[in-house]
Amino acid sequence: MEFILIGLASLLFGTGIYNLLQKQLLRIIIGTVLVSHGAHLFLLTMARVKTGAPPLISDASSYTDPLPQALILTAIVISFGVTSFLLVLAYRTYTLNKTDNMEEMRGREYE
Amino acid sequence: MSNLIFLPIVIPLLASIVAALFAKQLRGVRLFSQITAVLSLVFISGLTFYIFSEGTIVGQAGGWQAPYGISIVGDPLAMLLVTTTNVIGTAALFYAPRILERQQETFYFYGFYFLLISGVSGAFMTGDLFNLFVFFEVLLMASYGLIVLGNGKAQLRESFKYVLFNLFSSMLFIVSVAYIYSITGTVNFAQLAERVESVDQQGALTTVGVILFFVFAVKGAIFPLYYWLPNSYVVPNPVVSALFGALLTKVGIYSIIRIYTLIFVHETGVTHQLFIWLAMLTMLFGVIGALSTHNVKLIIAYNIIPAVGFMLMGVGLYSPESIAGSVYYLMHDMVIKGALFFLIGALVVAAGTKDLRQMSGVIQRYPLLGWIFFVASLILAGVPPFSGFIGKILLLEGGLAQEEFLLVIVALLSSLLILLSMMRIFVYGFWGEKMDGMSSDYKHIRKLTIPGVVLVGIAIFLGVGAEFVYPHIESISNMLYDRTEYISSVLKES
Amino acid sequence: MIFAIFAPLLLAIIIPFLSRWKDKIHTGWLILPIPFAVFIYFLQFVGSDFQPKVFSVDWIPSLDIALSFHLDGLSLLFALLISGIGTLVVLYSIYYLNHKEQLSHFYTYLYIFMTAMLGVILSDNVFGLYAFWEFTSISSFLLIGYWHHRERSRYGALKSMLITVFGGFSLLAGLILLTIVTGTTSIQGMVDQADTIVNSEFFPFILTFLILGAFTKSAQFPFHIWLPDAMEAPTPVSAYLHSATMVKAGIYLMARFSPILAGEPYVFIILSLVGLVTLTWGSYMAVRQTDLKGILAFSTISQLGMIMAMLGFGTKVALFAAVFHILNHATFKGSLFMIAGIVDHETGSRDIRKLGGLFTFMPVSATLAIFGTFSMAGVPLPFLNGFYSKEMFFKASLDNTASSPFAETLVTIIPILAVVGSIFTFIYSMYLFFNTFTGESQVDELPKHPHEAPKMMLLPPFILVLGVLTIGLFPTIFNESLITHAADAVYGGEANKDIYFWHGLIPAFYMSIAVVVIGAVMYLTKSKWDRIYHALPGRLSLNKVYDWIVAKTETASQAITQFYMTGSLRNYMVLLLTAISAIVISVMLITDGMNFDMAETAPITTSEVLVVLFMAAAAVATIFARNRIAIILIVGVVGYGMAVLFVMYRAPDLALTQLIVETVTVALFLLCFYHLPNLNKSKTTWFTKSTNVIISVVFGLIMMVVGISAYNGRAFDPIAQYFIDNSYKLGGGDNMVNVILVDFRGIDTLFEVAVLFGAALAIVAMIKLRRNKGAN
Repeated sequence: MEFILIGLASLLFGTGIYNLLQKQLLRIIIGTVLVSHGAHLFLLTMARVKTGAPPLISDASSYTDPLPQALILTAIVISFGVTSFLLVLAYRTYTLNKTDNMEEMRGREYE
Repeated sequence: MSNLIFLPIVIPLLASIVAALFAKQLRGVRLFSQITAVLSLVFISGLTFYIFSEGTIVGQAGGWQAPYGISIVGDPLAMLLVTTTNVIGTAALFYAPRILERQQETFYFYGFYFLLISGVSGAFMTGDLFNLFVFFEVLLMASYGLIVLGNGKAQLRESFKYVLFNLFSSMLFIVSVAYIYSITGTVNFAQLAERVESVDQQGALTTVGVILFFVFAVKGAIFPLYYWLPNSYVVPNPVVSALFGALLTKVGIYSIIRIYTLIFVHETGVTHQLFIWLAMLTMLFGVIGALSTHNVKLIIAYNIIPAVGFMLMGVGLYSPESIAGSVYYLMHDMVIKGALFFLIGALVVAAGTKDLRQMSGVIQRYPLLGWIFFVASLILAGVPPFSGFIGKILLLEGGLAQEEFLLVIVALLSSLLILLSMMRIFVYGFWGEKMDGMSSDYKHIRKLTIPGVVLVGIAIFLGVGAEFVYPHIESISNMLYDRTEYISSVLKES
Repeated sequence: MIFAIFAPLLLAIIIPFLSRWKDKIHTGWLILPIPFAVFIYFLQFVGSDFQPKVFSVDWIPSLDIALSFHLDGLSLLFALLISGIGTLVVLYSIYYLNHKEQLSHFYTYLYIFMTAMLGVILSDNVFGLYAFWEFTSISSFLLIGYWHHRERSRYGALKSMLITVFGGFSLLAGLILLTIVTGTTSIQGMVDQADTIVNSEFFPFILTFLILGAFTKSAQFPFHIWLPDAMEAPTPVSAYLHSATMVKAGIYLMARFSPILAGEPYVFIILSLVGLVTLTWGSYMAVRQTDLKGILAFSTISQLGMIMAMLGFGTKVALFAAVFHILNHATFKGSLFMIAGIVDHETGSRDIRKLGGLFTFMPVSATLAIFGTFSMAGVPLPFLNGFYSKEMFFKASLDNTASSPFAETLVTIIPILAVVGSIFTFIYSMYLFFNTFTGESQVDELPKHPHEAPKMMLLPPFILVLGVLTIGLFPTIFNESLITHAADAVYGGEANKDIYFWHGLIPAFYMSIAVVVIGAVMYLTKSKWDRIYHALPGRLSLNKVYDWIVAKTETASQAITQFYMTGSLRNYMVLLLTAISAIVISVMLITDGMNFDMAETAPITTSEVLVVLFMAAAAVATIFARNRIAIILIVGVVGYGMAVLFVMYRAPDLALTQLIVETVTVALFLLCFYHLPNLNKSKTTWFTKSTNVIISVVFGLIMMVVGISAYNGRAFDPIAQYFIDNSYKLGGGDNMVNVILVDFRGIDTLFEVAVLFGAALAIVAMIKLRRNKGAN
């Protein structure tokens, strides 16, 4: 099963990157969201799944590795913070630059 | 004692909250920030001296022994860089009120500033790979806040690119952590070092290590991953540029130094050779960039890149000498980049333009600014007896001893071109007939110059007084090269 | 001695504060005593019983960098020149520079130079030498740019700095190699290990690096081009730095390492050839100059070439002559520069075409100039020191032996080039003197009415001319007390001892006579030869090459940088991803990083596969979505899918968090993008599209392959068991993930909150901060 999940995570990365390479702000942000899902999935998968009971103390003999879960939780929250910031930034960028096309925001006046 | 080691990270975090809460009481916040910065600088310097003489202090957060908890490692390298960070930060706090607009200050400059210092210090001190990611995010978030401060049109546009690049590399970071955890089952640096060594860095480990390198390379602005750097360092306020130029890329290069002298050191023929090539290209393309523009701020921003190349060169050569060179250069470059951005900020205010073609004769009205800039340029180019020289001879010695002649020639050539790029500013901007439209607010310009003067003074001391500093750097580099002390001090049974 | 070296520098620091009295008394007077005192200090060592002395202080002992000074004959000769001529130049400058100029700057630079130059020629530590060496370049840069409102000054300053610092960096590489080979940073220590150095595999590199350093500094062909432009500096500087002292630093370097290098076949070939080419080219170019200082600059170049060539010959007599000529050249060229400055000062012009007949107006200057020019020309008269060294040069030029066929050709060419160069030297010397001081005067065309300079201004050149004559008349005194010791140091043993005026009718004498006769004829008929002087160079001159390189560096940098720094996010991403992919793939192949020995996995169940397929479909669908609401919802599907996966894989906390976060994110998305334009069909070319696809696919595949290899490559048990065992016992919680978050890895969580805090601040700042004035 893990290999299928690795495949899915890689697919999320690939489609995310494809969206990142587009011009429109919205698509680019969608790309980052997909990539971050992919990254979290990698973290989950690489530690092996379903090796035991959920990491809640019970009478189970073995548990799933709790550490990656803790790391993913932290990563999810951080991604959330960054994504919210990015959304507002995108919105402000759009209203100030009056375009949502990144190719029109090259900004060569500094050279 | 070992609890004190958390203070360099925790003090700025608390200060950040206080500064943000009372952001509208501008005078109070300024005073609070400056006092806090000075006091913590004094404290951190003391701590650093203690560690230099008594050895590494490891703080195990929450009292959980490594590798299960998070180790905050106050080894001499980390403390040296934390101290340098605080020196530059403190100077920046005295520069900030004179160059920021009031609104920029009230919209949390000081909050972001302390958050940045906290993140940077944490990144230097943490002994845990995932925790490093978290500190990266802290410092990046602070830098996002700083870079958009002011909400200019171009500013937001460049910020967007900056954020995206960093976001992408952060995601790559998480994936690398996943890979590494899968193979080694740990995220603690010291244990990673042991485990990677015991399997001789076989299988996918080197590949994973290289992916991790690219994560840091994006932050450290190494060829060919530095596209985001020049423009995003130009758009914000000079004080923000100074903080970025002095601190941000350096965290990336520090991480490379740490990881590639501690963990991935068993395939140097592949990884470190790669670094040598990348170092060469970084130096060349960076300095080419610096020569390509007439925007004085952009010239300085581009000059960050070849300096990163120099530091990477030391890691790539991987000998005690060259690592010492990298560390010396790292410290020197933090100081001098901070100084240069301060001075360039003052120059832009004094001349009223960023365009070198419209500038001339500034030195006739502002001789102090001119001469300090001149000295700073010499320091940057590695002219003896200043700080840049010490790092440079160590690196060159390392390079020549390994018969990397091409590398040495490229390094020297780019030093020459760095000097050319800086002297163009001096010769065309400062020399010449007095220009029209120069600012005549002498007092303001002098105040803007002084933080730069202080940092240049430190850089001169780091060169002339190298005897006070170098032995420490030498022992740091021996410690990095030897690795056992770091590992044993983190993993020791408590 | 340390004090003697650093006294000028210390004074330089105080000089800016002296300028408050500059209206009452010329700053020069206040600081004149220092170089004179230094001169007297070094004079005490002169004597036939001179023995080398060592003075040393530690500086950075842990790097083997010390301020150690070795005073031998060669250093003593230079130290006397630097301090002696330095004194005269300061005296001269008092009359040359008006007190309204920025004198404090001028003298500060000049005194920094004095210390730097003394340091270069006295340092025994190679890094000390290098440090002082760079400072001579820097002070020279500042002095050339002294009148920086002039475009030419700025140009000349930058040019000299670029070329000499280029050489400086090369020298540094050479010196570091020397320390690596010998394990010492002391020059004397290196000389003792001459064999080790010569036989080392690094020797060709050492030689190349050192020679580049020496040639750029001493203006050897083709690096000489900075020297004529350095004439933009005030004349005292030209007399001092750019003829008597700094430009001899390269000569000094070669002389200093002569005990190691002399006799090496390549050293002979390179130094002799380049030196002679420089001699000939410089003197040829001097004849076509019209600016007095231009003539002197090219003359300096050619004389430096001559000394360099003699160092290349490396024979006893040649080395002696080289040292002797260093002294002689400093005396006559220094005086000539000062006279040129006087002429400029008193007539307002340095253009030799406007000058002429000045003898009647400036008889003293003219008389002094006679001795200077005739000595330079090597006219065989017993009271002109220039003749002595010139004849030794001829003698040495006939005295070489060859070790290879190429060297053999060279040996035969050397005397010819020597004579040709000397003929031109004779011509420009005559040209310099006669066209300035004799002939028809054109007083009306000059900016000022010429008159004799003040007596004190004539004193410095007078003293130098006196030097020319005394050395000429009493060579033995100078020889025994000074020159012999210097020559010994260069030769590394007992050198030549005697200086005679009359050697008998030897070939060298005939050469001298030939030079005088042919030179005289060619000078008298100079107008007929003009075409030769002007035919050759022009568009192809080396200055053009330099300008081209500098301009090209700039335009090429612009072209390269603008080519890839396009500002386009997509281009950057493409470059970044391509680079990462290429390198990661290569590393994976090189280190055999792929691992497809499938490790144990969890069983595959239908429900899981369905979720995965659903998510995959959603991910792919984002690419084709055309509606902004649709795409946001599709991404939401992926997010909720993640939550489902978390549930399936025993991660209840994650599932909950993911659900909340995803819901808020989708809401935020909708909020923010409500105002944004809808997605439009992208008008991208087929090429762009396919690159995007290839890059995404390749990168995804890399992630997958590395992921699988890493999965299969598990080498250790994770540290997880500790948390499982201890979270209740030590952490006091049932939920291991929670215990890890708040306790074991509490710092992560603390700073995760800090990130949210920062994000909140940044969002508030972005929304609320509105500036009135135009951005940026």
